[in-house]
Amino acid sequence: MAFQVGDGIVKYFKKKAVRENRINSAIQISRSIDENIAGLESGFGHSSDLVVRKLKFDGNMDITCAILYISSLVDKSTIGNLSLELTAFKPECCKTKTDMVFSQLMSSIPGLRELKEGFEYESLYTDLLSGNIVFLLDGFNKFFSVTASTDEGRPIEEPTSQTIIRGPKEGFNEKLNSNILLVRKRIKSKALRIEKLTIGTVTRTTVCLMYLDAIARDEIVQEIRTRLGKIEIDGILEGGYIEELIKDDRYSIFPTFLSSEKPDSVAAALLEGRVAILVDGTPYVLTAPALMAEFFQVSEDYYHHYIISSAMRFLRFVAFSLTLLVPAVYVAVTTFHQEMIPTPLLISIAAQREGVPFPALVEALIMEFTFEILREAGIRMPRAIGPSISIVGALVLGQAAVEAGIISAAMVIVVSITAISSFAVPNYEMSNAIRLIRFALMLLAGTLGLYGVFMGLIILVLHLCKIKSITVPYLTPIAPEIKGGNKDTIFRAPLWKMKYRPSGISGTDTARVGYEAVNANKKGKPEFR
Amino acid sequence: MKLKRLLFIHIILSILLLAGCWSSHEVNTLAITVCTGIDKTEKGYLITEQVINPRAIASTKMTSESPVFLFTKEGENLDEIIRSFSTQTSRTIYNAHLRMVVFGEEVARDGIQNILDYFIRNYQYRTDFYFVVAKNTTANEVLSVLTPLESIPGIDLYNSLKESEENWAPTKSIRIVELVNSILADGKNPVITGVEVTKGENISNSTDALKASNEIKKTIFTGMGAFKKDKLAGWLDEDESKGYNYIIGNVKRTVGYANYGDKVKVANEVINAKSVMKASIEKGRPVVNVEIDIKQNVGAVEGEFDVSREENIKIINETSEKKIKSICEKTVRKVQNELKTDIFGFGEAIHRKYPKLWEKMKDNWNNEFPDLAVNITVRVKTNQLGQITKPLFMKEKE
Repeated sequence: MAFQVGDGIVKYFKKKAVRENRINSAIQISRSIDENIAGLESGFGHSSDLVVRKLKFDGNMDITCAILYISSLVDKSTIGNLSLELTAFKPECCKTKTDMVFSQLMSSIPGLRELKEGFEYESLYTDLLSGNIVFLLDGFNKFFSVTASTDEGRPIEEPTSQTIIRGPKEGFNEKLNSNILLVRKRIKSKALRIEKLTIGTVTRTTVCLMYLDAIARDEIVQEIRTRLGKIEIDGILEGGYIEELIKDDRYSIFPTFLSSEKPDSVAAALLEGRVAILVDGTPYVLTAPALMAEFFQVSEDYYHHYIISSAMRFLRFVAFSLTLLVPAVYVAVTTFHQEMIPTPLLISIAAQREGVPFPALVEALIMEFTFEILREAGIRMPRAIGPSISIVGALVLGQAAVEAGIISAAMVIVVSITAISSFAVPNYEMSNAIRLIRFALMLLAGTLGLYGVFMGLIILVLHLCKIKSITVPYLTPIAPEIKGGNKDTIFRAPLWKMKYRPSGISGTDTARVGYEAVNANKKGKPEFR
Repeated sequence: MKLKRLLFIHIILSILLLAGCWSSHEVNTLAITVCTGIDKTEKGYLITEQVINPRAIASTKMTSESPVFLFTKEGENLDEIIRSFSTQTSRTIYNAHLRMVVFGEEVARDGIQNILDYFIRNYQYRTDFYFVVAKNTTANEVLSVLTPLESIPGIDLYNSLKESEENWAPTKSIRIVELVNSILADGKNPVITGVEVTKGENISNSTDALKASNEIKKTIFTGMGAFKKDKLAGWLDEDESKGYNYIIGNVKRTVGYANYGDKVKVANEVINAKSVMKASIEKGRPVVNVEIDIKQNVGAVEGEFDVSREENIKIINETSEKKIKSICEKTVRKVQNELKTDIFGFGEAIHRKYPKLWEKMKDNWNNEFPDLAVNITVRVKTNQLGQITKPLFMKEKE
């Protein structure tokens, strides 16, 4: 199941190695404070928000200290606190410029704030750019920095893209730290591992790898880690960049990473042994491996009674097939296989199609396109104009077209069923994928009839069998079949029946319920084939 | 490598495209036929096609257009005639939704063998349509009757035959497979329900005609036509048809009545009827025993007769048994003496039990059938009395 490294990635990897060498041979900062400041200022191109303050201490006027920060990134109150602390600082008995002064200054900054020392320009830049206040002392070829980055941004709000009725309503926001907090709060375990990486040669975006030790499978964690390490790009602005760059089948339309705005979904994924990728600056957290069945699961499924959840989930699968097939089958049956329609229905369809100037395929395409345009416009429109879209849509799509005899009423019903069903698929990316495939199926239906539709479906299934998400086959609990691993796909088994974490994804720690009892009796453990 | 891939795609695509469904027709280019009538003329056949007019059905307003159109054409060959309808209409005749085939009486008497071959050979026809024979009239006449309630006459005929078979014994629906099988079978002959047209005006959209709803033309299923092989031999009337259905076990639900004395008349709802046909040999000659088991409920009581009493139920059972038996025997007599065609499948019963004897008999079966001894036993069981027990207006005698 090894991930086949494409040629491109290998090349990237080689280039990356070269560049890393260059960084390692980075220049150390000099002992002269003026030289350092001049270097920094030219490095930043005299950027207007770079603040450089030089000061001398009361007790010892010989020691010049420079304080540098980027004003837009730094928390104003931290600056206030620090300046008070600095005025209180009096270097003791130091005539000579020894390391004493440096460490005295460092220790004079109280509290639990993060302090660190550095020697190179490169880390100096990084510290400044991540919102730290940097202290330079004349005569020392090192600096130290205090974390002071501002916490401004959106507060924790209810997710907009994944609304639920029951369950936690907190959602991730654009701040990485608060996102980590939201997950940490839910999983109070020492096994929760968080690895920070910086990706993007220009943006230097912080990306976090999060998983539960032993619960996640080592191979998968390692695979994701190496793939992330191989990314060579100027910037990462959203998780989508990462998804697209490290996807297994890069040409596949199906999403193989699940993006979620809800910390409880991510926590659940972590507990199943999946790996979460948090990207600074986006409220969407990716989890992988993401399998086909997962895109039909909703966090609420586990908060409601299992029979109800199973029914809802089954409904979602029905909606999925409806979105995919209804227009295609309608076109195929009405243009090729009229004998398959019950006589009364055929008569009423024939009656409606009387006077419609287009063939069924063209009719379907027109309506589906109109709907897609309306949908797209509805998303991008400013909120204030939103309602007018729906009015125009309802009138154009529904009434007027039918009354004018351009579109048959049956087609409007077909398109509405399709549209509503596509919204019942909980994952936006998945429903987008299906919507697009639907058009291909419609064309096949219009040219080859049901024969074409089934050809298309066969190709679709073959494709789904082929693609993988981080080395795990996409249809996993179904194909390849895992005995007893099918408890959380089309139906949701009660929690006390789901004794094991999904095999193939989870690591050595597989038991979910009745820890000792289940571990003692490993007989019933599902095997991953 | 790239060439190989292109070749692969080419092969897949050509397999896909060459084998695709080629018969693409938009629904609004089809003339959907629901009913085909076949009459005999000097030239050969006169075909009447009843084609749906979707426009009339579609409009929500009252239209003066008829819900169906009739296309007629004469010719020698069925396939030829039906194809040549394209000279009369802009739309393709589409036969997959055919519900009914009506034979004119003359055609039926002449033999339907060649017609059936066409219906079973042509790919367009499904096998779920019914056959009926126009009694005392032509198929064209039957097809031209417009029907109330259901606006498409072909569908009306289909549904009413289906309904009446289930709820009223004297009709029997027959589809093409069963029809062909019973023509081919040695010891059995087919039966096709007859349809008549009542006298009166054809229904029109004017309300005047609707007011006089008694006088409109209607199609009525009356009895059955007994065939000898593929030729119509004669007609069974309503009672005989009922008897026929009892014997072959085709009764699902029906109503029968029994008289007890002069004043009492009890109508019984048959809810279940089964028949078992067995051959045996008595005095060296084959005999067919038909056992009919009937379950019935009391449907209506006329006169003073306390059906809640055990002994009266017995009386009901006995009188019903007698009545049904006499109907059945009358049917068998008529078929044996007048029509002389084994529509019951007695020959098959003998064939099943005594295959060797049948081998000798089968060539001469048509001559031997009239002399076959048939014993009919009827057992009736009355289950329920309906929603009340005693008749409402009966005085309590205490």
